[in-house]
Amino acid sequence: MPLQHEHGFLVTGNHDEMNRQHYVSRLRMHILNQIGGGMRDVYENRVKPAFEKDNGRSPKNETEIHKAMMADHYGRTWSTMMVNCQDMVWDSVRPAIERAQPDLNERVRGVNAHYGSLNLNSDVAMPRYLEAADIHRMPGNYHSERADNDATQGALYDRGRFVYNGGAAGPFADGIPRTMAAYIKARWPDLKPKRILELGCTIGTSTVPFVDAFPEAEVHAIDVSAPSLRYGHARAEALAKPIHFHQMNAENMTFEDESFDLIFSCIIFHETSRTAYPKILEECQRVLAPGGMMAHTELTPVSNMDDFDAFYIDWDAYYNNEPFYKTYTNLDPQEWVTGAGFAQDKFWQVSIPDLDRSTPEFFQEAVTNPTVANGRAARVGESARWYTYGAWK
Amino acid sequence: MSDDIKITPVNRGKRPAFFDDPAIDQLMAIVMAMSAEMSVLYDRVDTIERLLDKKGTLSRDDIEAFRPDQGVEDERNDRRNDYISRLFRIIREERETLVAHDKMDEYNALMDELAKS
Repeated sequence: MPLQHEHGFLVTGNHDEMNRQHYVSRLRMHILNQIGGGMRDVYENRVKPAFEKDNGRSPKNETEIHKAMMADHYGRTWSTMMVNCQDMVWDSVRPAIERAQPDLNERVRGVNAHYGSLNLNSDVAMPRYLEAADIHRMPGNYHSERADNDATQGALYDRGRFVYNGGAAGPFADGIPRTMAAYIKARWPDLKPKRILELGCTIGTSTVPFVDAFPEAEVHAIDVSAPSLRYGHARAEALAKPIHFHQMNAENMTFEDESFDLIFSCIIFHETSRTAYPKILEECQRVLAPGGMMAHTELTPVSNMDDFDAFYIDWDAYYNNEPFYKTYTNLDPQEWVTGAGFAQDKFWQVSIPDLDRSTPEFFQEAVTNPTVANGRAARVGESARWYTYGAWK
Repeated sequence: MSDDIKITPVNRGKRPAFFDDPAIDQLMAIVMAMSAEMSVLYDRVDTIERLLDKKGTLSRDDIEAFRPDQGVEDERNDRRNDYISRLFRIIREERETLVAHDKMDEYNALMDELAKS
């Protein structure tokens, strides 16, 4: 497990707090892989046979599997450990951040826009899908403001997510966007975007790899959450990365038509809503320049999984405060992308091998022969491939 | 102090309980928290030992200021993983012995058979 890169605004903690955080990372990986890995064995060897004995048939869908697994003590133990560990993640980083305030906010406010810019707009309303639930049980979600010019939630997300990942996404917690950027460059070497836009950037962790991959491009990133953007701007400046952050809702952007060559997002749609998802895709269609491309990494649709994996993946929808997750994973991205005005033959989808956890040959294979892998790909630390889809305009 | 910022949940909702008796969920949370505190304590001892090795003597400030490098962190992670494995063995063991467990019926039948004279 690599140590997190300390960029000057990162709040880690004192001696014991950091060790507690690193322990929680290990604990989470154990619950996810060793204990969670046993869920299917328990299903196949105990829960399914018992169901068949009682009903004279196999469970017919993920809902029946869900019900049966949650009646089994192993399913319950794994579940209660998952929820506890999620809360332990936030609890492990919370005290140090509280202690760092209000000094942290002062320092974030004092950052000069040397490389990029920060464009906040307090008129942007918080969509209900973010306001109504603390997603991932993160206290206060991405956007809560606890003081004037507050950046607390950004700091909480930065350190908390690293603890959650257990370092599996690298020192910058950017394994997925680095994988995306490397893949786009390898598969479409002729794509030379002048202007790049990221949707739902939070603190810009996923924006930075695109700055690195396309140094000639002007890179913009939007989010609705001011505390995340304030912190993200400070982080980007500390890392000397030119990023223009905007407080903006992707459903209704103020950018001009046809003003970007590459639009991307990193696992955001499942945190929106059924109304917002098509609006965001339509906005992509509007602001993309002709010949431009969009790329979105997201959860693998459950149609690519068997019923057990669908249950296992959708667990988060019920118990990790992700209210749109299950609806989203049951949608067919191709249908919605074409519904937003992209041509059928301009759609693409692929499961990209994680850059840090695959050989160059395996990665290259996904470039020359792109396929969608069956099976699940969701939680960081568990998956080795990232389902990504997009379209050309 | 009016400037104090407290990071509290805003819309976390009701905490899910998975067992018929929610006390079991609570007990599990306590066990997991305790497991973390034991690990933190071990890390503190580890820090003291490393500093004593290097300096022969040390202060509390030395301990607080100690930051593991990647090598130390890797060692600690190996130890934490082993510790977690020992602590939660009973849960993992269930997975490993599922097939054997299913053979309990056969075993019980064998016991009955052998009990008969």
